[in-house]
Amino acid sequence: MKTAVGRLGGWAVRVGVLVAVFLAAQPPNRLTAQDSQFGIKGLGTPGRWESVRARSTGGAFAPFDAFSPLTDASLADASRMSASIAGGTSWRTIEPTGAAQASLRATRFPALVIAGPLTRRIVVGGGFATYLDRTFGVMIQDTINLRGVQEPITDEITSDGAVSDLRLAAAARLHRRLALGFGFHMLTGSSRVIATRTFADSTNYRTSTARDEVAYSGTGGSASLLLDVTRDVRLAGWLRSDSRLRADIGGRQVAENNLPLTYGAGLQWRAGTQAAFAGTVMWRNWRAASPADSNSHDTFNWSVGAELGSLGTPIRFGVRGGQLPFGVGNTPSEVGYSAGLGRQFSGGRGRLDIGLERLERKGTGLTERVWTFLVGLTVRP
Amino acid sequence: MSRCGWLVLLVAAAACTENATAPGVCPTFCPSGSISIQDTIFAAIIGRDSSFTGYLQGYQSTLMTAADSPGVVDSRPFFTSQTMITRLAPKAGDTTTVPLVVDSLRLRLIVARRDKQATNLRLKLFPLPVTVDSTWDFASLDPYFTAPPVDSVSISRLLATAGTTDTAITRFWRTVCSACIDSVRVDSAGNVLLMQADSSVIVYVKLDTLEAPLSAPDSGRLGFGFRVAADSFASLSLVTEQTSQGSGAQLHWYYHYTIPDTVSTKPDSVVHADRVVSTRFDSFVFNPPSVALDSNLTVGGVPSARSLLRVALPAFLHDSIDLVRATLILVPVSPVRGVPSDSFAIEGRNVTTDLGAKSPLGTTFNSTFVHIGSADTVRIELTNLVRAWTLDTTQVTSLFLRQLPEAASYTQARFYSSRAPAFRPSLHVTYVKRFGFGAP
Repeated sequence: MKTAVGRLGGWAVRVGVLVAVFLAAQPPNRLTAQDSQFGIKGLGTPGRWESVRARSTGGAFAPFDAFSPLTDASLADASRMSASIAGGTSWRTIEPTGAAQASLRATRFPALVIAGPLTRRIVVGGGFATYLDRTFGVMIQDTINLRGVQEPITDEITSDGAVSDLRLAAAARLHRRLALGFGFHMLTGSSRVIATRTFADSTNYRTSTARDEVAYSGTGGSASLLLDVTRDVRLAGWLRSDSRLRADIGGRQVAENNLPLTYGAGLQWRAGTQAAFAGTVMWRNWRAASPADSNSHDTFNWSVGAELGSLGTPIRFGVRGGQLPFGVGNTPSEVGYSAGLGRQFSGGRGRLDIGLERLERKGTGLTERVWTFLVGLTVRP
Repeated sequence: MSRCGWLVLLVAAAACTENATAPGVCPTFCPSGSISIQDTIFAAIIGRDSSFTGYLQGYQSTLMTAADSPGVVDSRPFFTSQTMITRLAPKAGDTTTVPLVVDSLRLRLIVARRDKQATNLRLKLFPLPVTVDSTWDFASLDPYFTAPPVDSVSISRLLATAGTTDTAITRFWRTVCSACIDSVRVDSAGNVLLMQADSSVIVYVKLDTLEAPLSAPDSGRLGFGFRVAADSFASLSLVTEQTSQGSGAQLHWYYHYTIPDTVSTKPDSVVHADRVVSTRFDSFVFNPPSVALDSNLTVGGVPSARSLLRVALPAFLHDSIDLVRATLILVPVSPVRGVPSDSFAIEGRNVTTDLGAKSPLGTTFNSTFVHIGSADTVRIELTNLVRAWTLDTTQVTSLFLRQLPEAASYTQARFYSSRAPAFRPSLHVTYVKRFGFGAP
């Protein structure tokens, strides 16, 4: 068993480095975190800036995890050149009120972080994460009156892509108890959009298909700090502001939307060497970003989680709750439970994290339940 | 493989499938934009429309129509055959020839179209001078068609006849037409009917030497005209030589000759043989003749008439829309006269360049049927054609209307042109507006 794990470790380290380099050079379109029907009506579904480790704890460890893109100050803990990638497959069930239930499935690579020390006190890092997921597809069946005849039609509108967040960040440990981090964010990415109308009378009516690629662009900045209040208690705080998000088709601007101010805080408590607990709160003022849009809402999200066991084979679990920024009527809410395992291999040069997350989102007219299986790979070549 | 290895494989397998589309719950959980469709009749975009005639003559058509509707139309096809030998050298190298003695002959006709509702449908044969050609018209041929027919064959009776059970007869006719279906039908006069897969029928009319004499002065050529008769719907179309070589009327001569024995005491030997001769000329004449062109749009008739329609496509149809249906609307001046079964097809076809009457035809087309006696508006679906125009601004936005097949029938449709504002041709277009991508 040990040999097998060792073999896997050697293979994983090599492949992991290659994947990390490749993905860092060109973020893939499948960079999305997790789709939601609640994002269709708005700018999209906000991504989770969390590694698999952090996500397995409900996101509670994200501000303190160097491989979670949530805060820049946490990079200060990356004492060696490291890379981490997260991937996940989601099985989503949507239950609209008064309509048929549907099951959806998607595989995503929500985050990649590469970091390494520049000097003894300064660590630089970067990578990508999902800012807004724009992948969805809706199929609408209707009957319209055409030329005096009731004509059944089927519309299918699909969007495949995301707004990605390319981050270049630096963290500095100013004091043994204080680390500061700053990041520059470039919002980029695109979504392939297709609108198709098919007619039941395909003899007389041709199927209409319109395709385009919407390119997104924007910039942002972030700042964060980590303060070790005691040897076992650590505080985190972060702030992020972004420019307006511009959407172009063929080089022509078709939309420009404000993006929210994001801020939050977290607390981590190490209860000995084999147990750690954390909790976070985060606010995002989506409503202020789009005051004219009655479907956008300010959000507050929280999470609590724990990591138990040795550093080499920890067990994690957590719970999260909060709100989603887009939805008709009341602000949609979200609650999630997660758990996971981690395993170091190759003498600590690599770590494989797996996690399982259960989410339930509720809003006016829709309940959405999601199972997500997560896999994360961290390598220190 | 370790458990971790299996896990990686499991995730990789799951990653191969994706399903992101769900039934839309609109408007709450649908994109703010929607697919918008417009349906518009462009009443005044067709203009500079004209009719031209003389494209095909009756003798150039692939079909010739026989019809008889008293007071409405009388259409008579006719043909002359190629030459038939009247003497031959009995042996190779002989310089002397012996005469042929005709035993019988069969006239083969392919009936491409007939009215299946017609009862007592008969085809009557009239002998014509072998000199008939394109200069002969209805009036000059009329004396020959009003004379008593030399023979008559009842197609209805042949169709009603039970197929022959004589295996020798069946085997013979199967070799004549191996692709034919159904039974071999033979009437008491020896006429034979074979059915083809496309429901056209092949009729073999048996003639004797009195009905079809082998005339040496005429080089063995024969000429026949046809009239059709029925209790109702007396109309049918015969395939002409223009469809393909050998597809027109054929005469199958069965004859014998004697080889005289001049060197021994053996008796003379008699040789039986046969020869097929095809059509030299075929056409049809009808009365009343096609009307002369006027300010309306004329399609069909003989010589065939076409109408050229020029469409001034609105600029917005060239971009930002997706055309899903286009229909040309034509209002008839009057119902087309003729035998009710003689409905015909009208084709709308693009032209590659607009040179007026001589505009070369393109490859994009569609057609519809026009029914005799109907005053209904005629609609031709031209979705592919107009869609091509919207996508390619360099294309010539003109089209020809023509009858299919051309010059095969007396039928002629006349539609109001743009000179009649209330009834002018129009284009009914259904299009989808460009979807507003990009907005949330």
